[in-house]
Formats: sequence, C-alpha cells, structure tokens
Amino acid sequence: MTDLVERIERNRFVGREFLLWLWFESHLFETTLSPSNGSTCALWIETRMSLAFEKEESVLKSVTPAATPEAREALRQGKLPKEARIRMISNELEFAWVFKADTLGLASVTIPAQLKKKEDEAHEILYERMRLAEELEATLEALYSDFLSLRLSEVWPEVVSLLRRFAQGKKVDERAYGELKRQVVVKKRRTK
Amino acid sequence: MTGEVPDDVAAVNMKRIRANAFIPLAPEEDESQHHGWCSVEDPMDIDLDHEKVFFNEYVCLGLRIDSWIVPKPLLTAHLRTAEAALLERKGLETIGRKAKADLKLMVLKRLRKQLVPSTKSIDLVWNVTTGVARFFSQSPRMHLLAQELFEKTFRLALVPESPGTAAERRGLDARAEKLWESLEPTLLVEEAS
Repeated sequence: MTDLVERIERNRFVGREFLLWLWFESHLFETTLSPSNGSTCALWIETRMSLAFEKEESVLKSVTPAATPEAREALRQGKLPKEARIRMISNELEFAWVFKADTLGLASVTIPAQLKKKEDEAHEILYERMRLAEELEATLEALYSDFLSLRLSEVWPEVVSLLRRFAQGKKVDERAYGELKRQVVVKKRRTK
Repeated sequence: MTGEVPDDVAAVNMKRIRANAFIPLAPEEDESQHHGWCSVEDPMDIDLDHEKVFFNEYVCLGLRIDSWIVPKPLLTAHLRTAEAALLERKGLETIGRKAKADLKLMVLKRLRKQLVPSTKSIDLVWNVTTGVARFFSQSPRMHLLAQELFEKTFRLALVPESPGTAAERRGLDARAEKLWESLEPTLLVEEAS
C-alpha cells in the first residue's frame, strides 16, 4: 500500500513542469507540436491559467493568458503553471479542456462529438465519445512521453537554460532547442 | 486500474454489480447517505442487467449518492418544539445530552418523511481492454467513494492518475528509473551565487 501511495505521490511537481513545457513548445513552435509517437497537433493555452509556488498563486484570465507579461513575471517569481485551459486541434478535431498539472487530470472537456442525444442510439454516442476521449488521451500521453525523455536525459540542464530565457522574456534559439530534442527523441526511437 | 481482469468480465462481475447496486434511503434509518451503482443512462434505474452495464469493451456505471438534506432552520424550529413538549410531558427543567441527541434523531427522521433525498450521479466508464477507468468528477471525496466501491465490486485496485503513475505506464528503463527516483524540481529562478 505504501508502495502504491509512493508511486502516486512521487514527483507530483513533474506535472507542473510538463505543463510549462507544453506552454514553452507552443510558444516556440507557434502552437504546432509534433509528438514523436503521435500526429502533429496545434495546441495553446486559452482563457485561464494559474501559476503557483507553495501557497502563493497567480490566476490569469484573458484571451491568451500565457502571452501576458504577468505570466512570465510569475515564472520569474519561481511559480510554475498548476492549471490551464488548453485548446488542441488534432486531425481536424478540436478539443478543449482544463488541465490539472498535479494529477494530470482533465476537467470540463469539450470533445468534437457529432452524434446527438435525442437522434442517435445511446451506445453509439458512448462509443463516439470514448473514441474521442481516447484520441485526446493518446496525444497527451505521446507528448508526456517526449517530455519525460527530455526530463530524464542528460540534456535537461540545457533545456532549463532555455526555459529560463523563456521566463525572462528573452529570445529562445528555436534551432538549439530543436537540436537538443532531436538528440533525445531520435535516441529514444533507435532504442525502441 | 491494476490487477488481472478476468476474460469474461460480465459473467464474473454481474452478480457483484447487482449486489453493490444503489439501495434507496429510508427515512427511518440512522444513516443520512447511501451510495451504490445505478444505470449510467438513468440514475433512477437501479435494477441493473447486462444490457445496461456492458457496451462492448466498456463497463458503464453511475455512482449514485443520495443524501438527506434537512434545512438547519427547519430542524432547529422543530427540535425546539419537540424539546418543549418533552419537558412539559416529563415535568423536567432540562434535558440530558443523550436524550437531546435521541430527540434530534427522532425529529430528523420525522422531517425526512416530508422531504425527498438529494440525488447525485457520476458516470464511471471502464475500458476493460486498456484498463483505464474514467470517472467524471474532480471531487476527492467522490474519488474515494468510487474507488472503494469499484474495488469492492470488481476486486481490482483503481490507481489514480498522477505524473508518477503515467511515467510508470510509459515504461522507464533502469537508468531513467534511477533518475526518476532522485528527481528534484526544476528552478527557473537562478540561485544567487
């Protein structure tokens, strides 16, 4: 039981780092993310984001909260994103949800369901919704996998330097980051 | 979810699902809340069968929670009247703590007969092929209720999603596993040297 609790609780902060990384990649690649085990998608933070460090929290509400100066200021104060509303377009399907970094939980999920409650069979509606939910989760899982590869690689300190530049609002060398990522992702593909 | 899923989930579990189906609250009971499984399509439907629960690889259930919610001012007013009546009947000046608690329960039960319990239902969809169970609530209290009932019904453990469990599911090699265990939070604020 202790082992199970430890498995769940260990390194919860990684969820916030993952959300920071999604934000960083979305900014750097103008919303286009390319998970190594999934299809390319457009992903960005919209309407609401909260950043926290211990008990201090900044809640930002605007059309693009990640682009506000307050968001970078919060990063410079040592806060990391804890929760954000995300929109993603993948294979022409548009999803939106609130991402809770500490639990990797999804809330208020909007999926591009076509079938309607009154007109279609209940089980058909269920299958469609589950297929879409699984598609969303698969993309997130592929992104998390890439993030973990980077996070647990020897290039992470260099990525942190770039993240610091990002937090300071300075220009980040997109090619340098792309090269670091390639080293890890290509290595991961080869070992598979 | 962790554990071995039986080949024929429906045959093995239907009886247990029915045994853990929701049981309606009765005003005379001491308990003020009940929870159990109901149909995912209709929370009022607690007569569960194969067709209402099993949809190909998905097990779909509603976690129904009914509670008695007696408005406090109503309870206070009725309690005051009942206390006064008891004092007069027994010719006493005060009521003891135990008698007061008994009286409160009696008044509560009487008031419940005039009320309808508050009903809440939260969907749980478990894909038996992938082992992923989706529970459509963010409340930690509801998570605990669902976890406990799921484990009691299916004899399988539900493991809540977290960065740690997601990392484990991805499969870390020995080197990454070691790094994972000694990971420190990333600091974007550079420490003053």
